[in-house]
Amino acid sequence: MLSRLRLLWLLAGPGVLVMLGENDGPSMLSYAATGAKFGIGFFLPFIVLTFIMAVVVQEMTVRLAAATHRGHAELIFERFGPFWGWFAMIDLGIGNFLTLITEFIAIRAGLGFFGVPPAASVAAALVLLYTALMTHRYWTWERITLAIAACNLVFIPVALMTHPDWHAAGRAFGVWKPLPGGLSKDVLLIVLADIGATVTPWMLFFQQSATVDKGLTRRDIGFGHLDTVAGALLAAATAVATVLATTPLFLHHMSAENYQAAEFAQALQPLIGRLGASLFALGMVEAGMVACVTISISSAYAFGEVAERPHSLNLPLSEGKAFYAVLFLCAALAAAIVLIPGLPLVYVVLLVNVIAVLAMPPALIFLFLLVNDKELMGSSASPRWANALAAAVVVLLTGAGILFGCSVIAPNLFAAWGGN
Amino acid sequence: MMKKPEACVAMDASEESLVLAALEPDQLAAAKKQHVPRRQLKGAELAVLWALRLYLLFMAAVVLYQAWIGTH
Repeated sequence: MLSRLRLLWLLAGPGVLVMLGENDGPSMLSYAATGAKFGIGFFLPFIVLTFIMAVVVQEMTVRLAAATHRGHAELIFERFGPFWGWFAMIDLGIGNFLTLITEFIAIRAGLGFFGVPPAASVAAALVLLYTALMTHRYWTWERITLAIAACNLVFIPVALMTHPDWHAAGRAFGVWKPLPGGLSKDVLLIVLADIGATVTPWMLFFQQSATVDKGLTRRDIGFGHLDTVAGALLAAATAVATVLATTPLFLHHMSAENYQAAEFAQALQPLIGRLGASLFALGMVEAGMVACVTISISSAYAFGEVAERPHSLNLPLSEGKAFYAVLFLCAALAAAIVLIPGLPLVYVVLLVNVIAVLAMPPALIFLFLLVNDKELMGSSASPRWANALAAAVVVLLTGAGILFGCSVIAPNLFAAWGGN
Repeated sequence: MMKKPEACVAMDASEESLVLAALEPDQLAAAKKQHVPRRQLKGAELAVLWALRLYLLFMAAVVLYQAWIGTH
Protein backbone atom coordinates (compact mmCIF):
# COMPACT_ATOMS: atom_id res chain seq x y z
CA MET A 1 0.00 0.00 0.00
CA LEU A 2 2.79 2.39 1.05
CA SER A 3 4.79 1.63 -2.08
CA ARG A 4 1.70 2.26 -4.26
CA LEU A 5 1.15 5.62 -2.54
CA ARG A 6 4.81 6.49 -3.10
CA LEU A 7 4.45 5.56 -6.78
CA LEU A 8 1.35 7.77 -7.03
CA TRP A 9 3.29 10.67 -5.47
CA LEU A 10 6.10 10.16 -7.98
CA LEU A 11 3.75 9.91 -10.95
CA ALA A 12 1.35 12.67 -9.83
CA GLY A 13 1.97 16.02 -11.43
CA PRO A 14 0.61 16.82 -14.88
CA GLY A 15 -3.02 16.08 -13.91
CA VAL A 16 -2.99 18.03 -10.65
CA LEU A 17 -1.02 20.85 -12.28
CA VAL A 18 -3.30 21.16 -15.29
CA MET A 19 -6.46 21.21 -13.15
CA LEU A 20 -5.14 23.65 -10.54
CA GLY A 21 -3.44 25.60 -13.35
CA GLU A 22 -6.83 25.95 -15.03
CA ASN A 23 -8.21 27.38 -11.79
CA ASP A 24 -6.48 30.49 -13.06
CA GLY A 25 -7.09 34.20 -12.71
CA PRO A 26 -10.00 34.50 -15.16
CA SER A 27 -11.48 31.24 -13.86
CA MET A 28 -11.48 32.40 -10.24
CA LEU A 29 -12.92 35.71 -11.39
CA SER A 30 -15.70 33.83 -13.24
CA TYR A 31 -16.48 31.73 -10.15
CA ALA A 32 -16.43 34.85 -7.96
CA ALA A 33 -18.77 36.65 -10.38
CA THR A 34 -21.01 33.56 -10.43
CA GLY A 35 -21.43 33.56 -6.65
CA ALA A 36 -21.88 37.33 -6.47
CA LYS A 37 -24.49 37.44 -9.25
CA PHE A 38 -26.41 34.18 -8.79
CA GLY A 39 -25.55 32.84 -5.32
CA ILE A 40 -25.97 29.18 -4.37
CA GLY A 41 -28.20 27.34 -6.83
CA PHE A 42 -27.91 26.21 -10.42
CA PHE A 43 -24.25 27.05 -10.79
CA LEU A 44 -22.93 24.97 -7.89
CA PRO A 45 -23.74 21.59 -9.51
CA PHE A 46 -23.06 23.06 -12.95
CA ILE A 47 -19.46 23.87 -11.99
CA VAL A 48 -18.97 20.32 -10.70
CA LEU A 49 -20.32 19.07 -14.06
CA THR A 50 -17.72 21.16 -15.91
CA PHE A 51 -14.98 19.41 -13.91
CA ILE A 52 -16.43 16.00 -14.86
CA MET A 53 -16.20 17.19 -18.48
CA ALA A 54 -12.59 18.20 -17.86
CA VAL A 55 -11.74 14.71 -16.53
CA VAL A 56 -13.41 13.08 -19.56
CA VAL A 57 -11.30 15.21 -21.89
CA GLN A 58 -7.98 15.22 -20.01
CA GLU A 59 -7.78 11.47 -19.37
CA MET A 60 -7.61 11.03 -23.14
CA THR A 61 -4.41 13.10 -23.26
CA VAL A 62 -2.83 10.79 -20.65
CA ARG A 63 -3.56 7.73 -22.80
CA LEU A 64 -2.32 9.50 -25.95
CA ALA A 65 0.93 10.56 -24.28
CA ALA A 66 1.59 7.13 -22.74
CA ALA A 67 0.85 5.29 -26.00
CA THR A 68 2.62 7.59 -28.48
CA HIS A 69 5.25 9.45 -26.37
CA ARG A 70 4.51 12.57 -28.35
CA GLY A 71 3.13 15.97 -27.52
CA HIS A 72 -0.30 16.95 -28.84
CA ALA A 73 0.88 19.43 -31.48
CA GLU A 74 3.59 17.07 -32.72
CA LEU A 75 1.08 14.24 -33.07
CA ILE A 76 -1.46 16.34 -35.03
CA PHE A 77 1.29 17.50 -37.41
CA GLU A 78 2.70 14.00 -37.95
CA ARG A 79 -0.63 12.22 -38.28
CA PHE A 80 -2.80 14.73 -40.16
CA GLY A 81 -0.16 16.88 -41.85
CA PRO A 82 0.87 20.53 -41.54
CA PHE A 83 -2.38 21.96 -42.98
CA TRP A 84 -4.52 20.84 -40.05
CA GLY A 85 -1.55 21.08 -37.70
CA TRP A 86 -1.24 24.81 -38.30
CA PHE A 87 -4.96 25.34 -37.74
CA ALA A 88 -4.63 23.67 -34.33
CA MET A 89 -1.49 25.67 -33.57
CA ILE A 90 -3.07 29.02 -34.54
CA ASP A 91 -6.07 28.27 -32.27
CA LEU A 92 -3.72 27.36 -29.44
CA GLY A 93 -1.38 30.31 -29.98
CA ILE A 94 -4.15 32.93 -30.03
CA GLY A 95 -6.03 31.32 -27.13
CA ASN A 96 -2.91 30.94 -25.00
CA PHE A 97 -1.76 34.49 -25.59
CA LEU A 98 -5.16 35.98 -24.72
CA THR A 99 -5.37 33.81 -21.60
CA LEU A 100 -1.86 34.81 -20.59
CA ILE A 101 -2.93 38.46 -20.67
CA THR A 102 -5.76 37.67 -18.28
CA GLU A 103 -3.37 35.89 -15.89
CA PHE A 104 -1.34 39.08 -15.59
CA ILE A 105 -4.60 40.98 -15.05
CA ALA A 106 -5.33 38.69 -12.07
CA ILE A 107 -1.82 39.13 -10.67
CA ARG A 108 -1.98 42.89 -11.10
CA ALA A 109 -5.41 43.09 -9.48
CA GLY A 110 -4.55 40.70 -6.63
CA LEU A 111 -1.36 42.54 -5.69
CA GLY A 112 -3.21 45.83 -6.19
CA PHE A 113 -5.24 44.94 -3.08
CA PHE A 114 -1.99 45.24 -1.09
CA GLY A 115 -1.10 48.54 -2.76
CA VAL A 116 1.53 47.17 -5.16
CA PRO A 117 1.72 49.32 -8.34
CA PRO A 118 0.74 47.51 -11.61
CA ALA A 119 4.23 47.71 -13.19
CA ALA A 120 5.87 46.25 -10.06
CA SER A 121 3.25 43.45 -9.95
CA VAL A 122 3.82 42.22 -13.49
CA ALA A 123 7.62 42.62 -13.16
CA ALA A 124 7.58 40.47 -10.00
CA ALA A 125 5.51 37.84 -11.83
CA LEU A 126 8.01 37.74 -14.70
CA VAL A 127 10.92 37.32 -12.27
CA LEU A 128 9.11 34.47 -10.49
CA LEU A 129 8.36 32.78 -13.83
CA TYR A 130 12.04 33.03 -14.79
CA THR A 131 13.17 31.68 -11.39
CA ALA A 132 10.79 28.70 -11.53
CA LEU A 133 12.11 27.68 -14.94
CA MET A 134 15.79 28.13 -14.27
CA THR A 135 15.98 24.85 -12.32
CA HIS A 136 16.34 23.11 -15.73
CA ARG A 137 14.86 19.96 -14.27
CA TYR A 138 11.28 18.98 -15.06
CA TRP A 139 10.99 17.23 -11.68
CA THR A 140 12.17 20.24 -9.62
CA TRP A 141 10.03 22.66 -11.63
CA GLU A 142 7.01 20.40 -11.25
CA ARG A 143 7.37 20.11 -7.45
CA ILE A 144 7.88 23.89 -7.03
CA THR A 145 4.85 24.64 -9.20
CA LEU A 146 2.77 22.01 -7.39
CA ALA A 147 3.65 23.67 -4.07
CA ILE A 148 2.54 27.08 -5.37
CA ALA A 149 -0.57 25.52 -6.96
CA ALA A 150 -1.56 24.01 -3.60
CA CYS A 151 -2.11 27.60 -2.40
CA ASN A 152 -5.16 27.57 -4.73
CA LEU A 153 -6.91 25.80 -1.84
CA VAL A 154 -6.79 29.10 0.08
CA PHE A 155 -10.29 29.83 -1.27
CA ILE A 156 -11.66 27.02 0.94
CA PRO A 157 -10.89 28.74 4.30
CA VAL A 158 -12.18 32.01 2.79
CA ALA A 159 -15.48 30.25 2.00
CA LEU A 160 -15.65 28.85 5.54
CA MET A 161 -15.20 32.38 6.94
CA THR A 162 -18.44 33.42 5.18
CA HIS A 163 -20.40 30.68 7.09
CA PRO A 164 -22.10 29.21 3.99
CA ASP A 165 -25.62 27.83 4.12
CA TRP A 166 -24.71 24.13 3.79
CA HIS A 167 -28.36 23.09 3.61
CA ALA A 168 -28.95 25.33 0.57
CA ALA A 169 -25.70 24.14 -1.00
CA GLY A 170 -26.66 20.48 -0.56
CA ARG A 171 -30.16 21.10 -1.94
CA ALA A 172 -28.72 22.87 -5.01
CA PHE A 173 -26.95 19.65 -6.01
CA GLY A 174 -30.30 17.85 -5.93
CA VAL A 175 -32.50 20.33 -7.78
CA TRP A 176 -30.06 22.57 -9.74
CA LYS A 177 -32.05 25.62 -8.58
CA PRO A 178 -32.61 28.50 -8.18
CA LEU A 179 -31.42 30.35 -11.26
CA PRO A 180 -32.21 34.02 -10.47
CA GLY A 181 -33.54 35.87 -13.53
CA GLY A 182 -34.09 32.69 -15.54
CA LEU A 183 -32.31 31.96 -18.81
CA SER A 184 -30.82 35.19 -20.09
CA LYS A 185 -27.86 36.58 -21.98
CA ASP A 186 -26.07 37.26 -18.68
CA VAL A 187 -26.63 33.69 -17.53
CA LEU A 188 -25.29 32.35 -20.83
CA LEU A 189 -22.21 34.56 -20.58
CA ILE A 190 -21.50 33.17 -17.10
CA VAL A 191 -22.29 29.60 -18.24
CA LEU A 192 -19.76 29.94 -21.04
CA ALA A 193 -17.24 31.69 -18.80
CA ASP A 194 -17.56 28.87 -16.22
CA ILE A 195 -17.11 26.19 -18.87
CA GLY A 196 -14.15 28.13 -20.26
CA ALA A 197 -12.81 28.27 -16.72
CA THR A 198 -12.54 24.47 -16.68
CA VAL A 199 -12.19 23.09 -20.20
CA THR A 200 -9.76 24.84 -22.56
CA PRO A 201 -7.48 23.88 -25.45
CA TRP A 202 -4.18 24.69 -23.68
CA MET A 203 -4.94 21.97 -21.12
CA LEU A 204 -4.87 19.30 -23.84
CA PHE A 205 -1.50 20.44 -25.15
CA PHE A 206 0.00 20.96 -21.69
CA GLN A 207 -1.02 17.68 -20.06
CA GLN A 208 -0.03 15.55 -23.05
CA SER A 209 3.38 17.22 -23.42
CA ALA A 210 4.06 17.24 -19.67
CA THR A 211 3.11 13.56 -19.43
CA VAL A 212 5.60 12.81 -22.22
CA ASP A 213 8.25 14.98 -20.52
CA LYS A 214 7.62 13.09 -17.28
CA GLY A 215 8.07 9.79 -19.14
CA LEU A 216 4.83 7.96 -18.37
CA THR A 217 4.25 4.70 -20.24
CA ARG A 218 1.20 2.49 -20.87
CA ARG A 219 1.81 0.78 -17.52
CA ASP A 220 1.34 4.18 -15.79
CA ILE A 221 -1.98 5.13 -17.43
CA GLY A 222 -3.95 4.14 -14.33
CA PHE A 223 -1.83 6.42 -12.15
CA GLY A 224 -2.14 9.17 -14.77
CA HIS A 225 -5.93 8.87 -14.47
CA LEU A 226 -5.73 9.01 -10.66
CA ASP A 227 -3.54 12.11 -10.96
CA THR A 228 -6.15 13.73 -13.24
CA VAL A 229 -9.10 12.84 -11.00
CA ALA A 230 -7.24 14.04 -7.88
CA GLY A 231 -6.49 17.34 -9.64
CA ALA A 232 -10.13 17.70 -10.70
CA LEU A 233 -11.39 17.05 -7.15
CA LEU A 234 -9.03 19.64 -5.67
CA ALA A 235 -9.84 22.19 -8.36
CA ALA A 236 -13.61 21.58 -8.12
CA ALA A 237 -13.49 22.02 -4.33
CA THR A 238 -11.71 25.34 -4.82
CA ALA A 239 -14.13 26.49 -7.52
CA VAL A 240 -17.18 25.64 -5.40
CA ALA A 241 -15.53 27.36 -2.41
CA THR A 242 -15.06 30.53 -4.48
CA VAL A 243 -18.75 30.59 -5.41
CA LEU A 244 -19.67 30.07 -1.73
CA ALA A 245 -17.22 32.81 -0.69
CA THR A 246 -18.82 35.47 -2.88
CA THR A 247 -22.43 34.37 -2.33
CA PRO A 248 -22.83 36.85 0.59
CA LEU A 249 -22.41 39.65 -2.00
CA PHE A 250 -25.46 38.23 -3.81
CA LEU A 251 -27.40 37.82 -0.56
CA HIS A 252 -26.60 41.43 0.47
CA HIS A 253 -27.63 42.67 -3.02
CA MET A 254 -24.21 44.17 -3.66
CA SER A 255 -23.86 44.79 -7.40
CA ALA A 256 -21.08 42.69 -8.87
CA GLU A 257 -21.35 44.10 -12.39
CA ASN A 258 -17.95 45.71 -12.53
CA TYR A 259 -15.89 43.91 -9.93
CA GLN A 260 -12.31 43.09 -10.78
CA ALA A 261 -10.40 40.36 -9.02
CA ALA A 262 -9.20 42.50 -6.13
CA GLU A 263 -12.46 44.40 -5.88
CA PHE A 264 -14.15 41.16 -4.85
CA ALA A 265 -11.66 41.03 -1.98
CA GLN A 266 -12.44 44.64 -1.06
CA ALA A 267 -16.17 43.99 -1.23
CA LEU A 268 -15.81 40.91 1.00
CA GLN A 269 -13.66 42.70 3.61
CA PRO A 270 -16.60 44.03 5.69
CA LEU A 271 -18.03 40.49 5.80
CA ILE A 272 -14.93 38.34 6.42
CA GLY A 273 -12.38 40.81 7.73
CA ARG A 274 -8.97 41.91 6.51
CA LEU A 275 -7.44 38.41 6.84
CA GLY A 276 -10.12 36.74 4.72
CA ALA A 277 -10.00 39.49 2.09
CA SER A 278 -6.19 39.27 1.98
CA LEU A 279 -6.36 35.49 1.49
CA PHE A 280 -8.86 36.01 -1.35
CA ALA A 281 -6.54 38.53 -3.05
CA LEU A 282 -3.51 36.25 -2.55
CA GLY A 283 -5.52 33.39 -4.06
CA MET A 284 -6.06 35.53 -7.16
CA VAL A 285 -2.31 36.21 -7.41
CA GLU A 286 -1.51 32.49 -7.02
CA ALA A 287 -4.14 31.51 -9.58
CA GLY A 288 -2.68 33.93 -12.11
CA MET A 289 0.91 32.97 -11.34
CA VAL A 290 0.55 29.19 -11.71
CA ALA A 291 -1.42 29.54 -14.93
CA CYS A 292 1.11 32.08 -16.20
CA VAL A 293 3.80 29.39 -15.85
CA THR A 294 1.78 26.46 -17.25
CA ILE A 295 0.30 28.39 -20.19
CA SER A 296 3.67 29.85 -21.22
CA ILE A 297 5.11 26.33 -21.13
CA SER A 298 2.17 24.94 -23.11
CA SER A 299 2.93 27.47 -25.91
CA ALA A 300 6.65 26.72 -25.80
CA TYR A 301 6.11 22.93 -25.88
CA ALA A 302 3.82 23.25 -28.90
CA PHE A 303 6.26 25.57 -30.69
CA GLY A 304 9.18 23.20 -30.03
CA GLU A 305 7.21 20.18 -31.24
CA VAL A 306 6.12 21.87 -34.45
CA ALA A 307 9.42 23.63 -35.21
CA GLU A 308 11.28 20.40 -34.32
CA ARG A 309 13.41 22.29 -31.82
CA PRO A 310 14.49 20.80 -28.47
CA HIS A 311 11.57 21.27 -26.08
CA SER A 312 11.91 20.11 -22.53
CA LEU A 313 12.14 21.67 -19.09
CA ASN A 314 15.18 19.44 -18.56
CA LEU A 315 17.14 21.49 -21.11
CA PRO A 316 19.77 24.02 -20.03
CA LEU A 317 19.27 27.52 -21.46
CA SER A 318 22.05 27.06 -24.06
CA GLU A 319 20.41 23.94 -25.54
CA GLY A 320 16.82 25.14 -25.42
CA LYS A 321 17.21 28.74 -26.60
CA ALA A 322 14.15 28.71 -28.89
CA PHE A 323 12.01 26.90 -26.28
CA TYR A 324 12.82 29.38 -23.51
CA ALA A 325 12.73 32.40 -25.88
CA VAL A 326 9.12 31.63 -26.93
CA LEU A 327 8.19 31.08 -23.31
CA PHE A 328 9.59 34.37 -22.02
CA LEU A 329 8.64 36.49 -25.04
CA CYS A 330 4.97 35.41 -24.82
CA ALA A 331 4.93 36.16 -21.09
CA ALA A 332 6.71 39.52 -21.44
CA LEU A 333 4.40 40.70 -24.25
CA ALA A 334 1.28 39.68 -22.31
CA ALA A 335 2.62 41.46 -19.22
CA ALA A 336 3.23 44.64 -21.25
CA ILE A 337 -0.32 44.63 -22.66
CA VAL A 338 -1.80 44.54 -19.15
CA LEU A 339 -0.08 47.87 -18.44
CA ILE A 340 -1.89 49.67 -21.30
CA PRO A 341 -3.88 52.49 -19.64
CA GLY A 342 -7.67 52.24 -19.96
CA LEU A 343 -7.78 48.58 -21.03
CA PRO A 344 -11.23 47.17 -20.02
CA LEU A 345 -9.75 44.45 -17.82
CA VAL A 346 -12.94 42.74 -16.60
CA TYR A 347 -14.43 42.58 -20.05
CA VAL A 348 -11.23 41.12 -21.49
CA VAL A 349 -11.27 38.40 -18.82
CA LEU A 350 -14.86 37.28 -19.47
CA LEU A 351 -14.48 37.34 -23.26
CA VAL A 352 -11.25 35.33 -23.10
CA ASN A 353 -13.07 32.59 -21.19
CA VAL A 354 -15.81 32.61 -23.83
CA ILE A 355 -13.23 32.38 -26.63
CA ALA A 356 -11.67 29.37 -24.86
CA VAL A 357 -15.01 27.55 -24.98
CA LEU A 358 -15.56 28.41 -28.64
CA ALA A 359 -12.10 27.09 -29.59
CA MET A 360 -12.62 23.83 -27.73
CA PRO A 361 -14.82 21.76 -30.13
CA PRO A 362 -12.30 21.82 -33.05
CA ALA A 363 -9.50 20.88 -30.61
CA LEU A 364 -11.62 18.05 -29.20
CA ILE A 365 -12.25 16.59 -32.66
CA PHE A 366 -8.50 16.17 -33.21
CA LEU A 367 -8.20 14.58 -29.78
CA PHE A 368 -11.17 12.32 -30.54
CA LEU A 369 -9.67 11.19 -33.87
CA LEU A 370 -6.26 10.51 -32.34
CA VAL A 371 -7.44 8.65 -29.29
CA ASN A 372 -9.62 6.38 -31.49
CA ASP A 373 -6.77 5.69 -33.91
CA LYS A 374 -6.17 1.96 -33.36
CA GLU A 375 -2.90 2.09 -35.34
CA LEU A 376 -1.48 4.60 -32.85
CA MET A 377 -3.24 3.58 -29.68
CA GLY A 378 -3.56 -0.19 -29.99
CA SER A 379 -5.26 -1.52 -26.86
CA SER A 380 -5.32 1.98 -25.31
CA ALA A 381 -7.84 3.28 -27.90
CA SER A 382 -11.04 4.76 -26.44
CA PRO A 383 -13.81 2.36 -25.43
CA ARG A 384 -17.38 3.15 -26.55
CA TRP A 385 -18.47 4.67 -23.25
CA ALA A 386 -15.52 7.11 -23.32
CA ASN A 387 -16.45 8.08 -26.89
CA ALA A 388 -20.06 8.65 -25.87
CA LEU A 389 -18.96 10.93 -23.02
CA ALA A 390 -16.53 12.82 -25.28
CA ALA A 391 -19.23 13.27 -27.93
CA ALA A 392 -21.59 14.60 -25.24
CA VAL A 393 -18.94 17.16 -24.20
CA VAL A 394 -18.49 18.32 -27.83
CA VAL A 395 -22.27 18.65 -28.30
CA LEU A 396 -22.67 20.53 -25.00
CA LEU A 397 -19.81 22.95 -25.76
CA THR A 398 -20.98 23.60 -29.32
CA GLY A 399 -24.59 24.01 -28.17
CA ALA A 400 -23.61 26.47 -25.44
CA GLY A 401 -21.57 28.44 -27.99
CA ILE A 402 -24.46 28.57 -30.47
CA LEU A 403 -26.91 29.68 -27.73
CA PHE A 404 -24.49 32.43 -26.71
CA GLY A 405 -24.20 33.52 -30.36
CA CYS A 406 -28.00 33.63 -30.64
CA SER A 407 -28.23 35.70 -27.45
CA VAL A 408 -25.79 38.26 -28.89
CA ILE A 409 -27.44 38.46 -32.31
CA ALA A 410 -31.03 38.38 -30.96
CA PRO A 411 -30.87 39.80 -27.40
CA ASN A 412 -34.64 39.42 -26.81
CA LEU A 413 -34.65 35.74 -27.71
CA PHE A 414 -34.80 34.51 -24.12
CA ALA A 415 -37.63 36.80 -23.04
CA ALA A 416 -40.06 34.27 -24.53
CA TRP A 417 -38.65 31.61 -22.13
CA GLY A 418 -39.10 33.72 -19.03
CA GLY A 419 -35.57 35.12 -19.03
CA ASN A 420 -34.47 38.70 -19.55
CA MET B 1 49.40 12.10 -27.34
CA MET B 2 45.70 11.52 -26.89
CA LYS B 3 43.61 11.00 -29.95
CA LYS B 4 40.67 13.40 -30.42
CA PRO B 5 37.28 11.68 -30.21
CA GLU B 6 35.48 11.54 -33.53
CA ALA B 7 32.44 13.81 -33.85
CA CYS B 8 30.20 11.04 -35.08
CA VAL B 9 30.73 7.43 -34.14
CA ALA B 10 29.30 4.85 -36.49
CA MET B 11 27.48 2.11 -34.64
CA ASP B 12 26.56 -1.31 -35.85
CA ALA B 13 23.11 -2.75 -35.19
CA SER B 14 24.10 -4.59 -32.02
CA GLU B 15 25.74 -1.48 -30.52
CA GLU B 16 22.73 0.65 -31.39
CA SER B 17 20.33 -1.79 -29.77
CA LEU B 18 22.59 -1.78 -26.67
CA VAL B 19 22.47 2.04 -26.49
CA LEU B 20 18.71 2.07 -27.00
CA ALA B 21 18.24 -0.58 -24.31
CA ALA B 22 20.17 1.64 -21.89
CA LEU B 23 18.26 4.81 -22.81
CA GLU B 24 14.79 3.31 -23.15
CA PRO B 25 13.75 3.05 -19.48
CA ASP B 26 14.36 6.77 -18.83
CA GLN B 27 14.11 8.49 -22.18
CA LEU B 28 11.87 6.21 -24.28
CA ALA B 29 14.37 6.84 -27.07
CA ALA B 30 13.21 4.03 -29.37
CA ALA B 31 9.55 4.87 -28.90
CA LYS B 32 10.17 8.52 -29.80
CA LYS B 33 12.30 7.52 -32.81
CA GLN B 34 9.45 5.62 -34.45
CA HIS B 35 7.86 7.61 -37.26
CA VAL B 36 4.11 8.20 -37.01
CA PRO B 37 2.69 7.50 -40.48
CA ARG B 38 0.49 10.15 -42.14
CA ARG B 39 -3.23 9.43 -42.25
CA GLN B 40 -5.63 10.96 -44.79
CA LEU B 41 -8.80 12.32 -43.23
CA LYS B 42 -11.99 10.80 -44.65
CA GLY B 43 -15.13 12.55 -45.94
CA ALA B 44 -17.14 12.69 -42.71
CA GLU B 45 -14.10 13.68 -40.65
CA LEU B 46 -13.23 16.46 -43.09
CA ALA B 47 -16.82 17.67 -43.12
CA VAL B 48 -16.91 17.91 -39.30
CA LEU B 49 -13.52 19.66 -39.16
CA TRP B 50 -14.52 22.22 -41.81
CA ALA B 51 -17.92 22.74 -40.19
CA LEU B 52 -16.26 23.45 -36.83
CA ARG B 53 -13.72 25.73 -38.54
CA LEU B 54 -16.59 27.77 -40.01
CA TYR B 55 -18.35 27.71 -36.62
CA LEU B 56 -15.21 29.08 -34.99
CA LEU B 57 -14.87 31.88 -37.56
CA PHE B 58 -18.54 32.81 -37.19
CA MET B 59 -18.37 32.77 -33.38
CA ALA B 60 -15.17 34.84 -33.45
CA ALA B 61 -17.13 37.48 -35.37
CA VAL B 62 -19.92 37.24 -32.76
CA VAL B 63 -17.43 37.72 -29.91
CA LEU B 64 -15.88 40.74 -31.66
CA TYR B 65 -19.38 42.19 -32.14
CA GLN B 66 -20.14 41.54 -28.45
CA ALA B 67 -16.85 43.18 -27.45
CA TRP B 68 -17.67 46.22 -29.62
CA ILE B 69 -21.14 46.51 -28.05
CA GLY B 70 -19.73 46.03 -24.56
CA THR B 71 -17.07 48.71 -24.89
CA HIS B 72 -19.51 51.23 -26.41
